[in-house]
Amino acid sequence: MALDVGTGLALIGAGLAIGAAGIGTGIAQSQIGAAAVGATAEDPKMFGRGIILLVLPETVVILGFVIAILLWLKS
Amino acid sequence: MLRPEEMTRVVIVGSIEGIDNTVECLYDMGALHLIDFTKQDEDFRLGKPLSHASDASQKLVKLRSMIRSLDLEEVKPKKKFSVSEIESRLEQAIITLDLNTGGKVESRQRIQSVIREKESEITSLQPVRSFGIPLEIYDGLENVSSLVGVCRDDPEADLSGRIKQMELFKEVRKDSVSIALFVPNEEKATVVKILTAHGFSEAKVPKLKGMPEDIIKEDQQEIKDLETDLKRLDADLDKIRKDFADFIVASEETLSIEVVKAETPLRFAESENSFVVDGWVPNSMWPELQAAIEQKCCGVVYAEALHPESQEETPVKLKNPKPVKPFEFFINLVSTPKYEEIDPTFILFITFPLFFGFMLGDLGFGAGLAALGAVIRWKMKDSPDLRKLGTIILAGGLVACVFGVFVYCEAFGVPFHPPSNNPDEASWENVAYIPLHPLIEKMQNVLELLALSFLAGWVHLTVGFIFGFFNKIHHSRKHALGKIAWLLILLGIFTELMTMGGNATQTSKFLNSTVLAPLMPHSTILLAGIKTAYSALVLVVVGIGSLLVTEGAGALTEVIGLFSNLISYARMAALGVGKGAMAFAFNSMLFPLIFHGGPGIAGILIAVAGIAALVVVQLFFVFFLGSLSVGIQAMRLNYVEFFLKFFEGGGTDFKPLSYERKYSSTT
Repeated sequence: MALDVGTGLALIGAGLAIGAAGIGTGIAQSQIGAAAVGATAEDPKMFGRGIILLVLPETVVILGFVIAILLWLKS
Repeated sequence: MLRPEEMTRVVIVGSIEGIDNTVECLYDMGALHLIDFTKQDEDFRLGKPLSHASDASQKLVKLRSMIRSLDLEEVKPKKKFSVSEIESRLEQAIITLDLNTGGKVESRQRIQSVIREKESEITSLQPVRSFGIPLEIYDGLENVSSLVGVCRDDPEADLSGRIKQMELFKEVRKDSVSIALFVPNEEKATVVKILTAHGFSEAKVPKLKGMPEDIIKEDQQEIKDLETDLKRLDADLDKIRKDFADFIVASEETLSIEVVKAETPLRFAESENSFVVDGWVPNSMWPELQAAIEQKCCGVVYAEALHPESQEETPVKLKNPKPVKPFEFFINLVSTPKYEEIDPTFILFITFPLFFGFMLGDLGFGAGLAALGAVIRWKMKDSPDLRKLGTIILAGGLVACVFGVFVYCEAFGVPFHPPSNNPDEASWENVAYIPLHPLIEKMQNVLELLALSFLAGWVHLTVGFIFGFFNKIHHSRKHALGKIAWLLILLGIFTELMTMGGNATQTSKFLNSTVLAPLMPHSTILLAGIKTAYSALVLVVVGIGSLLVTEGAGALTEVIGLFSNLISYARMAALGVGKGAMAFAFNSMLFPLIFHGGPGIAGILIAVAGIAALVVVQLFFVFFLGSLSVGIQAMRLNYVEFFLKFFEGGGTDFKPLSYERKYSSTT
């Protein structure tokens, strides 16, 4: 399957969009996750709040996913 | 459903002679959430425990100490004892047990401690055992120091080069050298330095007299004798355990209940001749409780309902139909809703399995999860929380099966029929023809999945804002109207997303011609290169305007948040596609090995290895990790996107005066 350079760049862009967003989310979640587990260990009732705080950065990777899909469809 | 059980505030007042019967009646009914009395004054003070509290406590302390000394903490009695039997036998049983166990348990502990001492003595004598030097020598010389211990390697060569006068005993072992070294006192510092270089760690020689070998033999004999005694004692204690274990545990339960009951008046208000109990009772149980108290207390105690102005402190007892109850697990993980708040359990009952099934959507994995959920429900009868979780997994698995059969048409990541764009892909057609065709092909219809996810998001968030409106309407109309403003903005954003979808997806096409048709999503204008519906623009602008009036300018910053809330539902499409792609990748890598491994035994071996690898990766990556992430995301969409639109929590759990009997019965 032959691809032109433009399509290739768009697909690389799609990969970068979701990949970089994933790394960013990972870095944010690692720190929040550690704190949330600590808080839950002290008081199990903190679990719910911990989850809410932990999953907030996930929106970033979802936005990355949407951008990747848009680029993929355009390519 | 949606509202907790309605509560009545009640006051029970009576003559002090009726207090025993009142406490008994309250615990039997298990309906009163007691409010502790705190404001003491000249007339009313904290109540006193019932007359039998002290006696019951003393017996309970004795029983608990027996449970500890006889190791009965984990015992679960096989038969139930009646309370009357326990009461009649308890006094005698405690005396018998005291006589039979007291001395034995102490002797057992003493013997165990002596055995431990002897064993540690033997261990400390081991380094000097082979040197044949009496123990008193090590500590009894005036001008000579002794150094006993273990070195990493042999220090003799170093020592003999630098120390003139010394006596070294050593025993070379596999990875260390035991030494006993005698040197003049003035050389000790130098010797210590040399030994340190050889990783010397000093061992304390016990202050005893005689040859180590003889002492070790004596100790070993003594341990042997003590162990025989210990076995005899253990056999006696085992017999007592066998005869009394069930009775002791059942009695402990009964006495614990007695003590809790007897100490309950400490939470009442009491005057010289009367007492007052304040609390909450579920409406449905109030007439029954009132009748029971007045009947049991023969007219010396009266119960009345009050009409409090504020409902803020009302305890919350969630009221949901039986199939919905297990989903209260999710609410308990966050916080109990306040009495006046809407209880979202029913929405979780619908959305969690639906989101879960939408994302997992696979007959094989769904059936596996449903089976897992059923096993957890069946096996974990003692743990209510795990049982609830089992039910939730079962429901999620079943909905995933439905999606797998009717929407995506696939099992274990393999489609029922080859996808339209890849007719050579492995499918269940190779095994059997299933007359069902997918409504959505996961890997091909990503846009359709996205549109469906946004639709789910719009409905979910709309319900959230409607709940928010009803939660706020009693406190502040302005804030309640703010929720309407949010609803307008949400509808605007959703209309715009569907306008962008246009005819590209069946979902947007259908919605644009039905539900959203009055908003005319086809009348558009180009804004910054994006096709924007007039109605969407108007809805967002009107919504923002209303927001400024109702919630203030600060709320504007959250408009972007609402947009990302809706986009956040794209995770449902992402996980659906991701899980499908992962299963497809493993299948397409390993199927050639399984089906085209080659001829002969080598081919069979390759096929077996391929099957093993497929089972492991599918089970671990797709089934366990996939289901876990799908479960977490389905939960997250509820906790973050949905709950934050209306839920405050912080309510008080309804905890009635009650007890649970497992090993004893009142009849």
